[in-house]
Amino acid sequence: MKQKAVKIGITSVVLVLALAGLLYSTLNEGTEYYKHVEEVMVNPTQWQGKNLQIHGFVVKSSILRKRDSLEYKFKVQSKGAVVDATYIGIVPDTFKDDSEVVLKGRLEADGFHVTPNGVMAKCPSKYEPKKGLGSPGM
Amino acid sequence: MASLGSFLLFATFVICAYAVAASLSGARRGSRRLVESGVGAFYLIAATMTVASAVLAHAFVTNDYKIKYVQHYSDRVQPLFYKITSYWGGLDGSIMFWVFLLAVFGALAVYVNRDRHRELIPYVVAIISGVQMFFLFLMVVHKNPFDTFLVQTPADGQGLNPLLQNIYMVVHPPSLYIGFVGMTIPYAFGMAALITGHLDDSWLRAVRRWTMVSWLFLSLGLTLGMIWAYEVLGWGGYWGWDPVENAGLLPWLTASAFLHSVIVQERRGMLKVWNVTLVITTFFLTIFGTFMTRSGVVQSVHAFGEDRALAWMFSIFMVAILLFSFGWVIHRLPMLRPRYDMDSWISREAAFVANNWILLIAAVLVLFGTMFPTMSEALTGNRLTVGPLFFNKWMMPLGLVLLALTGVAPLLAWRRSTLSNLRESFVWPVLFGILVSGTLVALGVRVWSSGICFALAAFVTATITQEFVRGARVRKNATGTDLLTATIGLVMRERRRYGGYIVHLGIVLMFLGFAGEGFKMDAQVLLKQGEEATLGHYTVRNMGVKVTDDGQKQMVTGQVAVSEDGKSVGTLYPARWFYRKHEEQPTTDVAIRRAIAEDLYLVMPAYELKDQSMSLQVVINPLVSWIWMGFGILVLGTGIALLPERAFEFAIGRAPAGAATI
Repeated sequence: MKQKAVKIGITSVVLVLALAGLLYSTLNEGTEYYKHVEEVMVNPTQWQGKNLQIHGFVVKSSILRKRDSLEYKFKVQSKGAVVDATYIGIVPDTFKDDSEVVLKGRLEADGFHVTPNGVMAKCPSKYEPKKGLGSPGM
Repeated sequence: MASLGSFLLFATFVICAYAVAASLSGARRGSRRLVESGVGAFYLIAATMTVASAVLAHAFVTNDYKIKYVQHYSDRVQPLFYKITSYWGGLDGSIMFWVFLLAVFGALAVYVNRDRHRELIPYVVAIISGVQMFFLFLMVVHKNPFDTFLVQTPADGQGLNPLLQNIYMVVHPPSLYIGFVGMTIPYAFGMAALITGHLDDSWLRAVRRWTMVSWLFLSLGLTLGMIWAYEVLGWGGYWGWDPVENAGLLPWLTASAFLHSVIVQERRGMLKVWNVTLVITTFFLTIFGTFMTRSGVVQSVHAFGEDRALAWMFSIFMVAILLFSFGWVIHRLPMLRPRYDMDSWISREAAFVANNWILLIAAVLVLFGTMFPTMSEALTGNRLTVGPLFFNKWMMPLGLVLLALTGVAPLLAWRRSTLSNLRESFVWPVLFGILVSGTLVALGVRVWSSGICFALAAFVTATITQEFVRGARVRKNATGTDLLTATIGLVMRERRRYGGYIVHLGIVLMFLGFAGEGFKMDAQVLLKQGEEATLGHYTVRNMGVKVTDDGQKQMVTGQVAVSEDGKSVGTLYPARWFYRKHEEQPTTDVAIRRAIAEDLYLVMPAYELKDQSMSLQVVINPLVSWIWMGFGILVLGTGIALLPERAFEFAIGRAPAGAATI
């Protein structure tokens, strides 16, 4: 019984270590920092070239689309800090002025480059109370 | 009506408290009358919750907008069907729905087992009532679905989110809930067995069917969620490793392990610790999943909200569950010793243990990936997210190993496999697997993971076929019927085993569908009227954009002519719908051309009416239909495994139980 317990102990320690090592190695590739615009824009150079997910709100009437293309330019702000963003591709339904977005991509010197399918607008899901509604009966 | 509803919830809470107290003291003192009265109270809970549900449904149907919840999730123009199903449209109602289901299931389970498992019943009643108390407490103090507006009553409701107004969304939450709630029953019986020390297999027999049914509904809920994501959300895919999806997957993984692991305890009296652990973990994960999706603790596209009070209540409840459950497991460890030790690593028991480990590791990884952003933020202050990349990287190999096990395990003998029986079992399936791999290489399949998946699928299908053919042959020789009758007889005689094999076949088909993802193609184009674009062997042409109106919504429909290899195959109509109440939230109506080999999937996210141009997302999703077909077969197999014991006695020529035999 003793021996068996030792065996099981050693096996589980080895398994856990192996798993932890593997986890660590995959995490380095697949992770992105999740930041709000103001956190990044305090010191933009520090974040340049890193994979980021950036959270903020689309600045009113900042969305521009190049004629006859899917190239977008827009600004995203949060708590007063603003960042320019560029994106090529299709934007989700809820992407419009003032909408809450999370952008995936990289920060470069000329602004935030959003990766393909990297615009995630707030999901109008049932899990959430809707914000900004007028008082009832209005 | 609202006050009646609130009163009912409060009264139910009190009845629950009585049921707990009466059952426990009755069991301690051996007083049958107290236990009976606890059971009576337990039935009463089901009744009061049914009435409370009726009150809420009535409020929805009669447009009672005094009640905030009703005002929030329904409006006058909503079809009656959606008015009723708005019951579980939001958080407050879904918690109540949870308690309602649990009350009904619990009452059923106790009623069915009241004589057979007399010693367990009081504890089962106490545990289920305790869980109900938590949810009722949550409602009464924090999330009462019957809360009313204090000053003025709005004239109309806000209406249910248009995204939720489709049949999948009506069936998806209840089926997931039935799965989630159903898992409470095995947990309650398992805990009752631990507390009373009746740790033979009787508790397993009591919960076998509950576990299977719950598992089936969990599978159904997850699949419906996939279909919903695929067809309604227009994300182009069916699974995005979103925290909410993961929350449903976690208990499914551990429940799948439990379903398998139980077989070993029945056959060999082993894995007892595994089984109580898995049943506790599954129940815990249902609570955890609910907490994860509903408290905003995981910030995802789904969960931008914050609700601290809810988070605290859930956290305390979850810690209590873990301490209480595993405390009993540790206390009873001496009674959970296996009857036999593992003889050999090349045996069916060992394969089952491996299966448990892999499913558990998969659950741990999904949990880790889902909670990682929250954990990293708590530990370092920097929120790190992990994307689908991480999950795919881990889940793909684990999934493939599981698939391989699906084929290998049934061929292994109990206790130990000899070389000769390995040879005779594995020869054909392995040859078939190799044949398929060779064909794939010759065809130049470049996606390794998918290629391996196809080869394994071939191998597993061959093993299942072989099992059926062998069994049927033996039976044919024994009974002298034809092969078909023999096969049917075989399946009916050993429903669980062969039903299980059919489920495996369904899983294999689903895996084929998942493997198709490796060959997905995707393009985003902007087309002026008359322009066309090509993807794979499809060409799509913009034929213009039409606007129509059906009273509830305005529909902007794109007309896209599709040709395959130069031959016209018809027109697809991707559209955008603008609901009157939710103009700011247009919904996407995806156009899909389904085929056995691949789906052509079109989304039109933007358009210009002036010049009739449209943005178009064109996706080719190979083998997706196989996922839905596989699920159909999974349901069939589970159905066969669930058939009642005595229904077929006449057909399979066994004396019914209790018949007089000389």
